[in-house]
Amino acid sequence: YRDLHTFELQAPTRIIEWVRGNRVCVAGYRQSDGNEILQLIPPPTLLTKETQGLRPERDFKVECGGFSERPVYSLKYVPDTSLLVTSGPPDSSLQVWQVSAEDSDVIKSVSTIARENGTEQSWAKTATISARAPWVLHGSRLDRVQITEVESGKNVYTAASRGSEELSDLAFLDCNTLLLCCTTGRLCLADIRQSQSLVEAMSVPSVPCSEQWCMGTKHGAQGLEPSSQPVARLSSRGLLTLTDLRKISEHLAFAKARVSSPDSGAEFLCVSWAPALEGYLAISGFDGTVHVYDTQSWDSSGREAEPIFVHKGHAFGGAGDSGDPPLVTVHTWHLQKPRTLLSAASDGSLHVWDWVQPCGKC
Amino acid sequence: MPEIKVTPLGAGQDVGRSCILVSIAGKNVMLDCGMHMGYNDDRRFPDFSYITQNGRLTDFLDCVIISHFHLDHCGALPYFSEMVGYDGPIYMTHPTKAICPILLEDYRKITVDKKGETNFFTSQMIKDCMKKVVAVHLHQTVQVDEELEIKAYYAGHVLGAAMFQIKVGCESVVYTGDYNMTPDRHLGAAWIDKCRPDLLISESTYATTIRDSKRCRERDFLKKVHETVERGGKVLIPVFALGRAQELCILLETFWERMNLKAPIYFSTGLTEKANHYYKLFITWTNQKIRKTFVQRNMFEFKHIKAFDRAFADNPGPMVVFATPGMLHAGQSLQIFRKWAGNEKNMVIMPGYCVQGTVGHKILSGQRKLEMEGRQILEVKMQVEYMSFSAHADAKGIMQLIRQAEPRNVLLVHGEAKKMEFLKQKIEQEFHVSCFMPANGETSSILTNPCIPVDIALGLLKREAQPAPRGFIPGAFPPFSPQSFRLVSPEQALKELGLAEHQLRFTCRVHIQDPRKEHETVLRVYNHLRGLLKDYSVQHLPDGSITVESILIQATAHSEDQGTKVLLVSWTYQDEELGSYLTALLKKGLPQST
Repeated sequence: YRDLHTFELQAPTRIIEWVRGNRVCVAGYRQSDGNEILQLIPPPTLLTKETQGLRPERDFKVECGGFSERPVYSLKYVPDTSLLVTSGPPDSSLQVWQVSAEDSDVIKSVSTIARENGTEQSWAKTATISARAPWVLHGSRLDRVQITEVESGKNVYTAASRGSEELSDLAFLDCNTLLLCCTTGRLCLADIRQSQSLVEAMSVPSVPCSEQWCMGTKHGAQGLEPSSQPVARLSSRGLLTLTDLRKISEHLAFAKARVSSPDSGAEFLCVSWAPALEGYLAISGFDGTVHVYDTQSWDSSGREAEPIFVHKGHAFGGAGDSGDPPLVTVHTWHLQKPRTLLSAASDGSLHVWDWVQPCGKC
Repeated sequence: MPEIKVTPLGAGQDVGRSCILVSIAGKNVMLDCGMHMGYNDDRRFPDFSYITQNGRLTDFLDCVIISHFHLDHCGALPYFSEMVGYDGPIYMTHPTKAICPILLEDYRKITVDKKGETNFFTSQMIKDCMKKVVAVHLHQTVQVDEELEIKAYYAGHVLGAAMFQIKVGCESVVYTGDYNMTPDRHLGAAWIDKCRPDLLISESTYATTIRDSKRCRERDFLKKVHETVERGGKVLIPVFALGRAQELCILLETFWERMNLKAPIYFSTGLTEKANHYYKLFITWTNQKIRKTFVQRNMFEFKHIKAFDRAFADNPGPMVVFATPGMLHAGQSLQIFRKWAGNEKNMVIMPGYCVQGTVGHKILSGQRKLEMEGRQILEVKMQVEYMSFSAHADAKGIMQLIRQAEPRNVLLVHGEAKKMEFLKQKIEQEFHVSCFMPANGETSSILTNPCIPVDIALGLLKREAQPAPRGFIPGAFPPFSPQSFRLVSPEQALKELGLAEHQLRFTCRVHIQDPRKEHETVLRVYNHLRGLLKDYSVQHLPDGSITVESILIQATAHSEDQGTKVLLVSWTYQDEELGSYLTALLKKGLPQST
């Protein structure tokens, strides 16, 4: 490590979201009432590019907080606004929150975006964009995907239905293109200008055992051609596929991570691309570790890949003897510092770490 | 409505000095008397004129309580007691009483000698002030006067820091001072029992902070020391005699052992003696681990840490030195600093807050050219690092303390209003108590519901046993004695007061149209009443009168009109209800049939 900071949150979080470029949001996911949404100011050492050592300001500060009655499974910042959108069980409705840090430190609940029709519902996955207006893309299943304008609650688009599989992730590739990933691994592209179109990617190799998939897209700089960045899909057995969206019917690369299937299934599976390092991605959700891989050496053979770095900090967490070892619930990359990641685990720990590139590479 | 009034004279929504006035059941207590470290003028002292414009403070205040020896909690004490004028008792724990004067004297030296200020307390004033101090033990109930009592609880944070419970009758307030809910290497965690005070006053400086773990800080500290020593540099760590110094020593000793390092570590002698002395005195104030270690061996018999000699500072090669005083303002640490400052291989690590005006403060603010005595300029090329191990409660810790004490209300000091709204809501939602956040000079009134214990005469209790427990028990309160109330029967009360009981009797005349003889009318009335009032005892007496319970009814003929009978209904004050009821009933007239 170059640097490692460990913090303890009052309640574990399963989301770490960058908000407005320099704030981080976390939120509780307990089944009961009283979950807190916290917007944190990272310590100055994290905001600047150089590491500074023993400076006094090494702590996160809670800038504002709000109370959520339901567990927060997903939180997204709506760009260019002071709004946050959260979702979580028991249904697929979304909660909209207002953050006004200058006036008060309370995050206020502003409105709710209604739940989908239909009986069985799981919580909605979300993605936000503010191209033409602040929009949120949401849905719990493939046939219930819609885009709603955040402030007015008006529905702007509804995707054509092509099956009712549960979604694990969705994203805006640009202001007109959507990417949807199902838990079966099925990947679909949709153009919102053409209401009936839904293009499918090559399916992942299906194996008799039930595994679940999630995806990671690159949060590149706004100007970059988004569809040139490959999409990564991670399965609960550790399989990783990379797909170039321009050649959506074939795999760009295929590898296996050396992990064991987690007991909690795909609950906390997370794969993400490094914003400042070409070809690096990180995965977590299998145990108390976070793996970092360099995908540039991967091919389509499907053999096991060696991680460049494994963060084991959470496994050595505080409690020790109380029951199960902590499970990493989520991780995210620092937006500017190339090798810095933030990860959180089920014991409430929050780590910020900066790994050293092993010799041989720059 | 009885209420507790709290006014922060400093703190409130200002970090810098703590001085809180509490009015509880007629008693006035001052909590802490701190100095604001950021100001150089009178703003550093709390505004005592708020308390009383003309009267003497001694008459107004019942006592002063100091929570711990940090200057922002006790720095203004000598000014307050000797320059403004207060002769009443000042309470603090034993370690605080021992350490306070040292810090105050140090501070005085810096302010007066170094900065040349004039409106400041003198050494004699510090001594005179400390003469007014009454030291208390943990969990010892101290009777300040007949009604006011206080009790100290362990607060962690620094050696001798305490949280105080102030009780008058059944109203109480708990003041936390600075506290810490997680134990560290040499201090335990704060603890309080479920005392259920009406109000808990807590600091909230770190409520919005999520602190970097101790392990990380320690690891970084060791890394810095190691790096410096590896490149042949010298590390200076200015410390105050107690507290963090011990922790850092233990840390370094363990690290040196593990890494098999050879560079010498020194501890300046003055430090050793003083520290040893205090630890022996106050061993019960440190945590279990230290106590065990202390019993097994002397705190300062480290394998790798030796006593320092002035000459060693000139030795070539790497070394680590702990020296006093902590802010580099005088003495040995300053001497060593001057010798080592010019070499960039060296490092100085400041382990805590430095008062403005000290060299420590200057170099932490980035100054690299310092003016020393005789106009000499010292160029600071050595690395300057700062590391704070000071322990305060964060949001989680505050919630834990509230959970332990179970107060009915919470008041937060030491934080900014805008930044405490979230915490306020959090506390209100989780514990369903009101949370107050007054600003400096603003008074918060907390309503209390005092229970007044009353001794009740056994006979009275037995007599009234039937009604619901909360029902009104008729009784009287005998001469008021300040300690307790007694509830006795009216007869007993009258006897004690030497008063005779007056009987009030009412008589009411009801006219009834009845041409028959009186005794027939009486019979009619009797039958009528007996039929109606089945639950009451209605009797017809031989002398021609009727009784309903204890109410008497007699009939006479009207003097002028034979056809009208006059019923005299008579009752005592106690039977008022029944009497009125009967009268109304009879006024309705008798039914024809009887």
